[in-house]
Amino acid sequence: MSDLDEFKATYFDECSELLTELEEQFAAIEAGERDADRLNAVFRAIHSIKGGAGAFGFSALVGFAHAYETLLDYVRDGRIEMSDDVVTLCIRANDIVADHVSAARTGEVLPAEYGLDEKARFDALARGESIEDEDENGEPLEEFDFEFTPVMVNLDAVGPSDAFEMGDAFDLDDAFDSAPLQAEVGHWEINFTPHRALYARANDPLLLFRELAALGDMHVRAVLRDIPPLAEFEPFDVYCSWEISLVSASVTEALIREVFEFVEGDCDIVIAQVGDVPMAQPKPVFVEPEVEAVVEIEEPPADLLALADDEVADLLSLVSELTTTPTAEPLPDVLADPVQDIFDEAPVMSFAELAASIPPPPPKPAPVAPVRAMAPASDSEESTGRSVGVQSIRVDLDKVDRVVNMVSELVITQSMLTQQMDEALRAKYTELVRGLEVLAQTTRGLQDSVMAIRAQPVKSVFSRMPRLVRELSSQTGKKIRLETVGENTEIDKTVIEQLSDPLTHMIRNSADHGIESPEKRVAMGKSETGTVRLSAEQSGGNILIAVEDDGAGINRERVLQLARDKGIVAPDVQPTDEQIDQLIFAPGFSTAEALSDISGRGVGMDVVLSNIKKIGGSVHVRSWTGKGTRMTLRLPLTLAVLDVMLVKVGPSPYVVPLSSIVETIQCSRASFERVPSGGQVLQVRGEYVQVIDLATRFGMASEHASESRFVVLCEAEGNSKVALIVDDIIGQQQVVIKSLEENFERVDGIAGGTILGDGNVALIVDVQGLKTNVVHKSAA
Amino acid sequence: MTTLRVLTVDDSRTILAMLHHTLSNAGFEVLQAEDGKQGLDLLKTETVDVVITDINMPVMDGIEFIKHVRASGQHQSLPILILTTETSQDKRDQGKAAGGTGWIVKPFDPEKLISVIHRVVH
Repeated sequence: MSDLDEFKATYFDECSELLTELEEQFAAIEAGERDADRLNAVFRAIHSIKGGAGAFGFSALVGFAHAYETLLDYVRDGRIEMSDDVVTLCIRANDIVADHVSAARTGEVLPAEYGLDEKARFDALARGESIEDEDENGEPLEEFDFEFTPVMVNLDAVGPSDAFEMGDAFDLDDAFDSAPLQAEVGHWEINFTPHRALYARANDPLLLFRELAALGDMHVRAVLRDIPPLAEFEPFDVYCSWEISLVSASVTEALIREVFEFVEGDCDIVIAQVGDVPMAQPKPVFVEPEVEAVVEIEEPPADLLALADDEVADLLSLVSELTTTPTAEPLPDVLADPVQDIFDEAPVMSFAELAASIPPPPPKPAPVAPVRAMAPASDSEESTGRSVGVQSIRVDLDKVDRVVNMVSELVITQSMLTQQMDEALRAKYTELVRGLEVLAQTTRGLQDSVMAIRAQPVKSVFSRMPRLVRELSSQTGKKIRLETVGENTEIDKTVIEQLSDPLTHMIRNSADHGIESPEKRVAMGKSETGTVRLSAEQSGGNILIAVEDDGAGINRERVLQLARDKGIVAPDVQPTDEQIDQLIFAPGFSTAEALSDISGRGVGMDVVLSNIKKIGGSVHVRSWTGKGTRMTLRLPLTLAVLDVMLVKVGPSPYVVPLSSIVETIQCSRASFERVPSGGQVLQVRGEYVQVIDLATRFGMASEHASESRFVVLCEAEGNSKVALIVDDIIGQQQVVIKSLEENFERVDGIAGGTILGDGNVALIVDVQGLKTNVVHKSAA
Repeated sequence: MTTLRVLTVDDSRTILAMLHHTLSNAGFEVLQAEDGKQGLDLLKTETVDVVITDINMPVMDGIEFIKHVRASGQHQSLPILILTTETSQDKRDQGKAAGGTGWIVKPFDPEKLISVIHRVVH
């Protein structure tokens, strides 16, 4: 990855965070929280997006963000009121910024007119508000666009990817680039009188001279005639000015002005072109003949300041002597020599530094040490202090994945060791056992920490949904409000990345099929605006993400009819309401009578199901006629490690995810009751539960020798339970999930495989899959 | 010549990363802070030769930051460069009034950035 690509990646990461921030801020602003903090945060977000975009030459984005930012600035100033219309416009503008960002990311070129309407509305808003203001403060408000045009042009000329070639937008360059080289030798005289403010802003004449010296042949004369007798000396005042002559073939006034750019306003400066004769001698006119302290330097020596420090020390001791001597007499004689010495060797030592080194008399401010004197401290702090301010690192996900894998293997090894300690050994080597226990704890802690590294709030996905809802709202003409809950819930990053599509699809489904038109809603006695609620919560080892709407609910009659028409459900089978609801996830099923633009893009909800299954999750739907629908995604916290119960079916070990197990029961064969459809049920505390004999299901002989059976009671989606018959229950442990699809192929009822501590392979039972499968099987 | 230490203060990771890249390539040692408050805290323990700061930042903006640095007494002669955008002349003036030494215009050009730093640092 080149540096530039890396910066771009950082930039786009940052943009998606900022866009999320914008969504959040505007959600609050829409809700009425229109305080300065929110506004500032919004402004900063747009400002940062624009700043980075400028660096990479994304000119369309820069242009739009700039206009938007200016609008926000006016709102901040109070020139434009944050009315509902402005909020709506801003939210629209956020979407446009997001589109520009994604276009910049993909290299797609948006139509030139994209966003122009909104830009025009920014203008109109500004003008509308400005009619009264403009006359009063004389500030024209339509500076929006044309002020910015030059930068746009520059960026375009440079091209999108040459971040480091982009000097054109740099103010200072104009002088360099546009100044024609002058062939003749120029001779400039510069009178430079710094003010106190120049030093107060940490500018230093020495540095200016250094820059001038780089331009040509330079002579500097210090003018010391204004230096008062030491008794009248005011440490923070500036008494020294300089006369500079600069001879160069190529220097223009603009170049000289540029050197003084930072000190403009903080000094008096007169620049005059004298002629083209190089000056051999300093012109006497600059110097008062009676002042001897006139020094010339060609270029400031590097060790000047070191010398100056010594001199300052001398001066300090002198000053302290003087201040303790009660004398009213003028002191020029005493001082003549030291002052002369100082200026002989350190002619351009600034008075600010000099003054800063002098302990002032009591009423003055506290002594100020020059930075240089503190420099040695940095050496000792270098090793310890470097990381100050760094709070997070950005790591390639691949690296984390490697660690995750290694930890997973460590978990297996640890459980293998534990497993292989037989009882005899346990009794004999108590220390070893204790060590293994500690190892188990540490491994678990390590694993949790590693998983935490990959965990991220679901916010990053949730934040994309408000926009989707707004779009759906305008496409369907329905009024829809999105509520989000639990967006700080953390899930494994790899899971989060897979969430966006299914969620988009589920929300589309809710908007398209769930929420009714405003008229219909009113007729039904509901509020005009429908609500889609997106929530996330942690539940044991799972994350539950739900999309809920208060719409019409699933039309079960139609769903069942369609399912029968498509041969998904056999004519003679009457599924339960719950099973009918679940049918919308059946492959090839779509309840839309005509494919709509919104949810019927050639894919049905079955895609949601398969996407979620791919990441080890499941989907459940529950519907209430006339009241709404809830679709729930159950996702694993992490993709890699699973807490399981190890069971035996026939000769083979199987594992059942612990998260779905409610309890284990031992019961007699007689407890199972046959039902007319051919299945079996088990009554558990008054509730009939569907029974699945894993041996039969997995094609093994179902001859169970003993009367007594082990039953693992599992919870499938929507609180429905299923009882799995197994031959033996071995125990609990952690396993590392290995994908069956990657290594073999997808098998119904099996969620994956794992390698046990003894080296055996065990299959992971997919409880929901088994249950759904039974429904379909019997339905087929 | 000893290595110059630069403190960069900006809430944009992109800008911080680009500054870091440019400055460390030029042989500077770079310290980073994400807002004025962090920058101030850092200056309590670290000695730097020059500061480059953004204006628009959360928690403590650049203007406040510069004022605080200047008011702290020990940093009166620390050069502070303001990283500004092309339209913020008034911000630049505010920055200057607060005690800013000079300014860099975004987007910055690496060579110019270095030369501007040399313009204010010994």
